[in-house]
Amino acid sequence: MIVEMKNICKRFGSHEVLTDISFGVDSGEVVSIIGPSGSGKSTLLRCATFLETIDGGEIWYMNERAAGTDTSGRVEYVPQKDLHRFRSYCGLVFQQFNLFPHYSILRNLTDAPIHVQHRSREEAEDTAMDLLRKMGIADKAKAYPYQLSGGQQQRVAIARALAMRPEILFFDEPTSALDPELTGEVLKVIRQLAEEHMTMVVVTHEMPFAKAVSNRVIFMDGGVIVEQGDPYEVFENPREERTKQFLRVFER
Amino acid sequence: MTFQTMLATMAVGMLRTFGVFVLTLLGSLPLGMVVALLKKSRFALVRALVGAYISIMRGTPLMLQLLVWYFGPYYLFGWSISGWRFPAIVLGFVLNYAAYFAEIYRGGIESIPVGQNEAAVVLGYSRTQTFMRIVLPQVVKRIMPSVTNEVITLVKDTSLAFTLAYQEVFSLAKQISASQTSFMPFLIAGVFYFVANYAVEFGMGLIEKVLDYYR
Ligand SMILES: Nc1ncnc2c1ncn2[C@@H]1O[C@H](COP(=O)(O)OP(=O)(O)O)[C@@H](O)[C@H]1O
Ligand SMILES: [Mg+2]
Repeated sequence: MIVEMKNICKRFGSHEVLTDISFGVDSGEVVSIIGPSGSGKSTLLRCATFLETIDGGEIWYMNERAAGTDTSGRVEYVPQKDLHRFRSYCGLVFQQFNLFPHYSILRNLTDAPIHVQHRSREEAEDTAMDLLRKMGIADKAKAYPYQLSGGQQQRVAIARALAMRPEILFFDEPTSALDPELTGEVLKVIRQLAEEHMTMVVVTHEMPFAKAVSNRVIFMDGGVIVEQGDPYEVFENPREERTKQFLRVFER
Repeated sequence: MTFQTMLATMAVGMLRTFGVFVLTLLGSLPLGMVVALLKKSRFALVRALVGAYISIMRGTPLMLQLLVWYFGPYYLFGWSISGWRFPAIVLGFVLNYAAYFAEIYRGGIESIPVGQNEAAVVLGYSRTQTFMRIVLPQVVKRIMPSVTNEVITLVKDTSLAFTLAYQEVFSLAKQISASQTSFMPFLIAGVFYFVANYAVEFGMGLIEKVLDYYR
């Protein structure tokens, strides 16, 4: 298992946003998470990538525990220096890209490898250029984020995450901030990564994409996993009434 | 008194004014950042103390603050204050301007989208790296116009040093004008302040241009 989330609970104040969420992702697996807005999908990814702390449950990466409940029932994270290692296992692609506007595209891809992972500039730049070529935007290496279209910016963001060589990449609605005509180029890149067996978890509203690309689909509603399984089963033959209702909206 | 001697006499005052100006910036620009970061501290007590400091600095006249810094040691502790004039002036200016700069910095830091922080944290940047490499450069660009305003105000505020009988350009102009019954010293002082501020605007404009490479 690359990542395993066990019985995750998360509250904001008294509002319980995630309730007893459990799932794991194997190496090379692509998992899609679908569900209505407000169901806790983003919060789940933010917990998995250590942007939020959990209030209950356990987080495991590479069969090593990053967080879990101690004997008194409180959640304990590993010390800061170990957490740094756990962070390096995962990457996150945001809905809003969040590129660094003051860095060139190339520097967006090389700054963290150089200054966080202490890799050589030369090697970091080679890796970055390879990734940009793969994303079809090598000609933009010297440009700045504001000079790129949304679709190009999101491809840079994916490349930036990949430049850190994560074990797993999380996507939070990677195409939701894009004009419809630009979603295709981003989905194509993710599909290509799936074919190369990159381990990925993708929160998305693009149902045909989820169905075609993922090995497993998770349907979340109200902070719980309502149903998960083979994409064909979940989409064509959902067991739960709530899943049926949700999917009906997308059939129109 | 010829125009030349007038100018020569006042040039000394200009240098003194310039001294207060430069030392104030050197002290208050970095100190303001420390204050801004303390204002965002995890500890409520620190936040409250820093908040009180900023309120006092902004809520009382700078002239009064200068008097307090200069005469305070004598009235409170009976210390001798000979030779304390210039340090007191610089201290007063630095502490006052640090409060204003702190508020500008804080506004700038808070205007950076949280997504920038989050992207950096997920990439593994430490807190210090995130601030120095990702947040601060963007803050600098955003606050340039406000900082320029403040620096221009400082150029004019240096004249307040006359409160402590510091012979800067403004007080010299007053003295020479009175003794020579001439209006010329005021014109010279006016031109001096104007040229100084023109230089400030020009310099800051250059920096803004350099930072114009991204949006
Ligand atoms: N930082 C936060 N503070 C308080 N409530 C939050 C915060 N983030 C998310 N929430 C709440 O948690 C719930 C789930 O949000 P989210 O995970 O963003 O859902 P989704 O991504 O599925 O739309 C929502 O009710 C949202 O209002
Ligand atoms: Mg969301």
